Amino acid sequence: MATIAPPRVARVDGEEPPRRPNIATANVQLPAVRDYEQVDREIIGTLRPTLGWFALLGTAILCLLIGISAWMYQIHEGLGVAGYNPPVMWGVYIITFVFWVGIGHAGTLISAILYLFRAGFRTTIYRCAEAMTVFAVMTAALFPILHLGRPWKFFWLIPYPNWRLIWPQFKSPLVWDVFAILTYFTVSSTFLYIGLIPDIATLRDRERNPVRKTIFSILSLGWRNTDREWRHFVRAYLFLAAFSTPLVLSVHSVVSFDFAMALTPGWHTTIFPPYFVAGAIFSGIGMVFTIIIPIRKFFGLKHYVTLNHLDAASKLCLFTSLVVGCAYMTEWFIAWYSGNKFEQDFFANRIWGQWWWSSAILYTCNMVMPLSLFSQKLRRNPAWLFFLSIFINIGMWFERFVIVVPSLSHEFEPWQWSGYIPTWVDYAILLGSFGWFFMWFLLFIKQLPVVAIAEVKEIVPPKMRVAHPHADAIDVSGRHVDYEPDTPGEHE
Amino acid sequence: MRGVIGVFPHLDSLVEAIDELKHQKVGDFTVYSPTPRHEIEHAVHAPTSVVRRFTLIGGVLGCTFGYWIAIWSSKYWPLVVGGKAVASWVPYTIFGFEVMVLVGSLSTVAGLLANARVPRLSTVVGYDPRFSGGDYGIYIETPPDRLRVAEDLLRRHGAVEVRGER
Repeated sequence: MATIAPPRVARVDGEEPPRRPNIATANVQLPAVRDYEQVDREIIGTLRPTLGWFALLGTAILCLLIGISAWMYQIHEGLGVAGYNPPVMWGVYIITFVFWVGIGHAGTLISAILYLFRAGFRTTIYRCAEAMTVFAVMTAALFPILHLGRPWKFFWLIPYPNWRLIWPQFKSPLVWDVFAILTYFTVSSTFLYIGLIPDIATLRDRERNPVRKTIFSILSLGWRNTDREWRHFVRAYLFLAAFSTPLVLSVHSVVSFDFAMALTPGWHTTIFPPYFVAGAIFSGIGMVFTIIIPIRKFFGLKHYVTLNHLDAASKLCLFTSLVVGCAYMTEWFIAWYSGNKFEQDFFANRIWGQWWWSSAILYTCNMVMPLSLFSQKLRRNPAWLFFLSIFINIGMWFERFVIVVPSLSHEFEPWQWSGYIPTWVDYAILLGSFGWFFMWFLLFIKQLPVVAIAEVKEIVPPKMRVAHPHADAIDVSGRHVDYEPDTPGEHE
Repeated sequence: MRGVIGVFPHLDSLVEAIDELKHQKVGDFTVYSPTPRHEIEHAVHAPTSVVRRFTLIGGVLGCTFGYWIAIWSSKYWPLVVGGKAVASWVPYTIFGFEVMVLVGSLSTVAGLLANARVPRLSTVVGYDPRFSGGDYGIYIETPPDRLRVAEDLLRRHGAVEVRGER
């Protein structure tokens, strides 16, 4: 945990230390945040509902209702209305399922892996990312149920021994999926809630409405910020982060086995687990930008989620984009190098044939556009990052489209080759999934703090009777930091 | 046993008060801070958290259970495929791992709750809402005859408010 250490003496023989270029460090302080009271005031202040928030929530609920209506229609008419035609019996639903599971990955990456690596820029964005994870997995979990002709029998999906002659097949990737995703959802929710407890206690102590105060009192479990509580909290949080880290890597690996265990060309490849994990993290960071950039603007949190934070997160985005790009190129190379005619023909069809347009969208959004993040100017431009993140989201949805549809529509036997056109039901349910996700997220950000209050206080200098001489200009490791507000002089 | 509570606006004065409290042995005390701080941890010098034992035991039990449930189910409801083992440890490692993470994480949380002594039904005694805001605090549990000593100590070290608690 953070401590204000004495500044490191970088000078030799009385010389001033050299000025560093304006590069975001892993540990970033918040120079425009002066004390703990300001943190409470400004972050709790974001919880007041506004007209814009109601408008967005209304839009999300409308999208959800459209999705629910389409689902009702599908239950009444049968799964045929969803655009499935042999041999393409997996379509928008599985694509969207994998898309949302992928979105759910950046949250735990940012909250757990970056916590273990002591990357300071996570502090102000991790709460958003964690909430995004939980709601994204909740959204993904809908799709196996949407796939069912009789969704009220959904509990038959759970692999438990029973008397219906549906015996558990523990060697099936679909059963691995159930275990992996349920574990991921449980651990991510637990991690989110444990991190929230001290903040809920802060809300409890400031709430005047008796009903809300009672709810916060129950949710905060009587947390009192004692030394004993913090001692065990810090240790438990560390272990949860340590458990979540391999979990992030395992879950999307297991999801990739749904495809990689099949013999279908384009799927039967050992590169899928790392390729899926990198793609998931990449898409999740894209969604974090989509969410956090409007929040920092409209909630007045630019001095919490600073340009340094965005810069550091953009580097992570760029890195994962390069990994994903490398995986795409490896796929092409292996298809050529394997000498397997089916694989070569399939890849030719994917890139130059029937599905060229989806591949073009995928490669443009995921490989070409993120290269712009090599420019520091663009990494520190929130408008560009938001614009880019939308294209990353689109590109990552199309990545799953390119994995699922071209493979199924172009297998071994030419007489089987076919096309796939999603119907309005597919599109409506896709829209409904975004409505479901954003409805929960919008409700979350007005009930609970979107920035972790207790953790932000760790990087704010504490009040001292004998003031630290450099308290306002050093970061948590004692180094001087550069701070660049969006608008010069904004927070002085 | 009665208690006295002191509210400190400054971290350094709180740390000095903790040092003297330990030196004078006035009574058992609890320190409050809005966020975990190394300075307080060093001053209190409490033993290392035992949450790690819960994590280890939960992880080992979870891993064992994950393998066991997959192997036992496969043996009890066998899906026999010629030339292949009914129970195979390679794919079952996924269950061992996932259940290890699940049970290990939940037992870590159980360890946190048990050791931090939460959930707590009441926060009224020995607590002030300012401790979740910008102030620090110390609550000293002491016999009635030592109350005056405790109050003086807290005031001397810069407590802006000192009050008795019962």
